[in-house]
Amino acid sequence: MLAQLFFSGLALGSMYALVALGYNITYATSQTVNFSQGQSVMVGAVVAYALYVGAGWPFPLALAVTLIALAVVGVIVERIAVRPFLRSASIAWLLATIALGIIAENVVMLAFGKDARAFPSKLATTPWMILGAGVYPHELLVPMIGIALMAAVELGFRRTLAGKALRAVAFSHEAAELMGIDVNRTITAAYALSSLLAGVAGMLLAPLLNVSATMGTTIGLKAFAVAIIGGMESPRGIIVAGILYGIFEAIVAGYLGTGVREILGFGLVIVVLLLRPWGLFGVPKLRRV
Amino acid sequence: MWRSAVLRIVLALTLAVTLTATTVPAQQAKPPVVVAMVAATSGGSALSGEAIKRGLAVAIDEINAKGGVLGGRKIELVIRDEEGNPSKGVTAARDVIEREKAVAVFGGLHSPVGLAMLPVFHELKVPYVGTWAAATAITRNGKSPNFMFRVSANDDIVDHFLAKHVVEKLGKQKPGVILENTPWGASNHEGLSKWLTKLGAQPVGFEKFNWGDPDMSPQLLRLRSGGADAIVMVANAPEGAQVVKSRAKIGWNVPTISHWGISGGRFAELTGELSESVVFVQTYSFFGKQSEVGDRVISALKAKFGVKGPEDILAPVGTANAYDAMHIVALAIEKAGAADGAKIRDALESVGEYRGLIKTYKHPFTAEEHDALNENDYILVTWKQGKIVPVAMK
Repeated sequence: MLAQLFFSGLALGSMYALVALGYNITYATSQTVNFSQGQSVMVGAVVAYALYVGAGWPFPLALAVTLIALAVVGVIVERIAVRPFLRSASIAWLLATIALGIIAENVVMLAFGKDARAFPSKLATTPWMILGAGVYPHELLVPMIGIALMAAVELGFRRTLAGKALRAVAFSHEAAELMGIDVNRTITAAYALSSLLAGVAGMLLAPLLNVSATMGTTIGLKAFAVAIIGGMESPRGIIVAGILYGIFEAIVAGYLGTGVREILGFGLVIVVLLLRPWGLFGVPKLRRV
Repeated sequence: MWRSAVLRIVLALTLAVTLTATTVPAQQAKPPVVVAMVAATSGGSALSGEAIKRGLAVAIDEINAKGGVLGGRKIELVIRDEEGNPSKGVTAARDVIEREKAVAVFGGLHSPVGLAMLPVFHELKVPYVGTWAAATAITRNGKSPNFMFRVSANDDIVDHFLAKHVVEKLGKQKPGVILENTPWGASNHEGLSKWLTKLGAQPVGFEKFNWGDPDMSPQLLRLRSGGADAIVMVANAPEGAQVVKSRAKIGWNVPTISHWGISGGRFAELTGELSESVVFVQTYSFFGKQSEVGDRVISALKAKFGVKGPEDILAPVGTANAYDAMHIVALAIEKAGAADGAKIRDALESVGEYRGLIKTYKHPFTAEEHDALNENDYILVTWKQGKIVPVAMK
């Protein structure tokens, strides 16, 4: 039973981590968060469904177009809902991104229809037996791709020029600007990347979940909890926290019942905020005086 | 000078057009009698709303073709989407009654919405006629006079029906129950717990899930480790699909008997072949030999909505229940002699024999019984290649 719960939690947990990493990227670069990340999850699944299942495109082409669409969504969110409010130091971006998410959900309902659809995958039809637990091969693929992707993002941050620019902007807008880095463009790129990660999570989850306009809402919310627990500014902390959170949820649901799952999960968020506001794995921010 | 003259002419023209537009039809026809549908037409159970709308529309066409009600007044339908959200349902119910002047309101699939709207109908004195939502307390609510009616299943009766099937027909003594964490789930928790125990079975557990939960294996594992020999499921299509997929994933092969919420969406598409392992309850099947009314409704659905045949009638109970509900309401309006909610409520309790689609109703409702259907009207069905078919025909 433990093995079964572990595998159930692993797949979902790595997706929480992937979405939460998106929160981290935009927060680090601009101190803002895209609260429509959950809807980016949904856009990834829905666009991939529409192209691959609906229009019958070959998978690589559908994938490529979906990825481009996701990056565009990220850019749109940044331009419309974040940039106009960055200067005024208000939290209008918070409300604006939520509003954009709701609009996205309703646009999809109009364009795609309102009921949940199935995303077929050969890897999610016959379960394998591992340690006495039934696991769809796809459920193993999800954390594998998720973790690989997160590692690639981490590496990209440290090794590539664009990654270094992102980190420079995260460190200080003024200093980055003095070094000739276009801060605005970097923030836009951060939004595109974060939307991309969320959308990939959506595509990966599609065969396990149902594809619908509202599929991303809960995931977006839980990923935000994960980002807080792991530490908003600690990408590695978020990855670990995401996977652990997924497994924690499954085990709590399995042994104590689903009734207490959300209570314990979000209770943990408050405890972390009280005791370690920088997250379980984060580092307290140095106050520059 | 020239400009203001033009402006005046334009204004005069607009006024003339609006005036004629509003006055001419009023002279020609009597005002319609407005009825409303407040149901989910979006979200995971959107098909249910579409099905109810079709049933109502076919019945309204028939009634209007025969001259309407109250000496030539046409029935007009207004539709509001409650999105499965109780507070939106309450707003919509008020809106259709106060602004659109609806004299009867048909409800949709979601019981929590039906329960939330209950006080509104009693305050504004307009009858609610349920076409899907089955929560026991919608009709059995202790109100007098009671404005809540239903042409649909009632959880308490369905739970008895399901429990009898599990215990007596399948001979299972330790069923595990999995239900949604909503007032509808709670309504069935109560009913199933009562009836399973009364019939001598010992349910091993009542597991709950939330809407949108992606993986139900933790709940199922708890039931399996408790020794469950059958699953009784209370879910709508998206979550029901996740239950069945999780059950297959953990390699657990036990009979699965479901309440009917799963027929309100694309359950068969979501679960593929697994859908054929689920048996569930319905109030009507368009398959097999049809009555005269059945044939008439099917051909109307074909003509009006491009339905190809019975296999194409998605969420069939919504259509069947709504069709009968609309006709019964029309009879009550006629009997009440006025487009007045309170009078129609009284009349509903005394409508006489009506030869409907689901059955011939001797008295659809009485002062004591506000559910027009009972367990003699329920049938067991399953999926066969994506179509809902009676169990016997499989």
